[in-house]
Amino acid sequence: MSPAPATSTSLAVRTTGLTKMYGQKTVVNGLALELPRGVISGFVGPNGAGKTTTLRMLLGLIRPSSGEGEVLGSSIAHPAEYLAKVGALIESPAFYPSMSGQRNLEILCALGRHDAHRVDQLLTQVGLGDRGGDRFKSYSLGMKQRLGIAAALLPDPELLVLDEPTNGLDPAGIREVRALLRTLADEGLTVVVSSHLLSEIQTICDHLVVIDDGMLRYQGSIDGLLGAQTAEVVAVPEHASDLTKLVEVCTAAGHSARIVEDGVRASAPADWAPELNRRAMAAGITLAGLAVNRGTLEDAFFAMTDDDSHAIRAHLSDPEVTP
Amino acid sequence: MIGAFLSELLKLRRRGLLLGGGGLFLGFTALVTIIGIERASKTVSPEQRGFHVSIAELSQANGLVRGLDHAGPLMGIVMLGIFAAAFGSEYSTGMLRNLLVREPRRVQLLVGKFLALVVFGILVLVAAGVVSVVIAYALAPSKGIDTSAWSSATGLSDLWSTMWHLTLSSLGFGTLGAALAVIFRSSVIALGVGVGWVLPAEAILAALWSNGQYWLPGQLLENLASGGSAAVSLARTGLTLGVYGIVIAVATAYIFSRRDVAN
Repeated sequence: MSPAPATSTSLAVRTTGLTKMYGQKTVVNGLALELPRGVISGFVGPNGAGKTTTLRMLLGLIRPSSGEGEVLGSSIAHPAEYLAKVGALIESPAFYPSMSGQRNLEILCALGRHDAHRVDQLLTQVGLGDRGGDRFKSYSLGMKQRLGIAAALLPDPELLVLDEPTNGLDPAGIREVRALLRTLADEGLTVVVSSHLLSEIQTICDHLVVIDDGMLRYQGSIDGLLGAQTAEVVAVPEHASDLTKLVEVCTAAGHSARIVEDGVRASAPADWAPELNRRAMAAGITLAGLAVNRGTLEDAFFAMTDDDSHAIRAHLSDPEVTP
Repeated sequence: MIGAFLSELLKLRRRGLLLGGGGLFLGFTALVTIIGIERASKTVSPEQRGFHVSIAELSQANGLVRGLDHAGPLMGIVMLGIFAAAFGSEYSTGMLRNLLVREPRRVQLLVGKFLALVVFGILVLVAAGVVSVVIAYALAPSKGIDTSAWSSATGLSDLWSTMWHLTLSSLGFGTLGAALAVIFRSSVIALGVGVGWVLPAEAILAALWSNGQYWLPGQLLENLASGGSAAVSLARTGLTLGVYGIVIAVATAYIFSRRDVAN
């Protein structure tokens, strides 16, 4: 059964055939995005995949060559209709270097006609309460990143677009940002996070978009993507002499298997592991170990974006997957 | 537009710009006024004409504004630099993308920023005028310059008209700087092209082209600063510069509103 079509009201972002060309070069190619409201969506792809160009088109910084889109229900052809409800940190945080972090935020506050009281509150929220008066150029990369997040939160947005938000942060800072994003999403804010840190995306995001060469490779839940990957059941017999016999047990059940070091790795669903245990026992093999290797986001990502290996796509039955 | 105006005023309030741009402006005006009065002598030979003024000339009603008159062209160059830096820095720092996310109506952003710079420019020019007048009054007695005509109705009228023309001229130079910064997306290139055009390029063109004074923007802006000349009337100067201003404004607004912000 195919899923019910998403409506504009349930989507924070929807694009159709979104394309950007620079001369003859197509940077973004016919993107059809559907990002749900109230969740954290991860936006991943290799360098040059078109992530930042796509985000810039959604923010009205770049005009699409063709295609259309909506952000918070308004057309991207009229960014003034929705950007008051959008906060963004695009690429590296950019501010006036000779001015303090606080003054930089005050300038953006005046420009957007936002509540000026939010400046101090946000500086404290991102951990810059005691450094707000220092010049931006004296900040570390992590502090600049925090200021960029504070600037993105200035309009009290409904949609937050963050490009590499944890870039330059120390582990404690990364954890704080992760917690902040989760809190914001729990409050109903829609967050779009672009990152090349796949483990980061897997940790904080509910929804995933993968693009490569400007084209959509996958969009949907992370669980859906990981679940579509074939897991690996690893069995270690008590006696090494049983390895070949154990491979035969697997192949007899219809699962390809191979010997790796002192165990057998079978490509099979995770829930086949107990069955393997029973079959091994029936064949007189005692297992010293049995484990399931579930695929990681990184495995799925490289399977999709590696030119030589598109195997994952064949396994994906999710109708949202773009072939 | 009000948001863009207020945010740019906040940006212009920074100490570096006030001490750098404003200080340069005021310091230069003070220097020109001091030199003009200190070098005044009873008689001036034709070879000394230029920066030398006689005490008798300085004692006339327009003597008060001689210093400002001399400072005019370079005030324009400084203003060109201030406007070019204000717009060009948005590109070089990458701040433009932040600004456009907060104010996506690009023409309004452009106009708001420009108006704030105009207000800043007027304040700096008024301050320069005050500095020049105070210095002139302070130094005049030591050179035996009679200042009674300076405060006459004619003197005050001359002061007002000089300030008015100087302000228009300087803001014209500023507009050129702003437009070049938007076109080239760089304050350094805008400054190089602007100063290069106004000073050496136009000087060469004016020497080669007899009608250059009617059409070259730098020549016209200098003519405006000095209140017009016998060759090119103030009305013609104003009209030609007005047409240039409209063309530059429309072209700049079009480029700014259409161009991708990809840096």
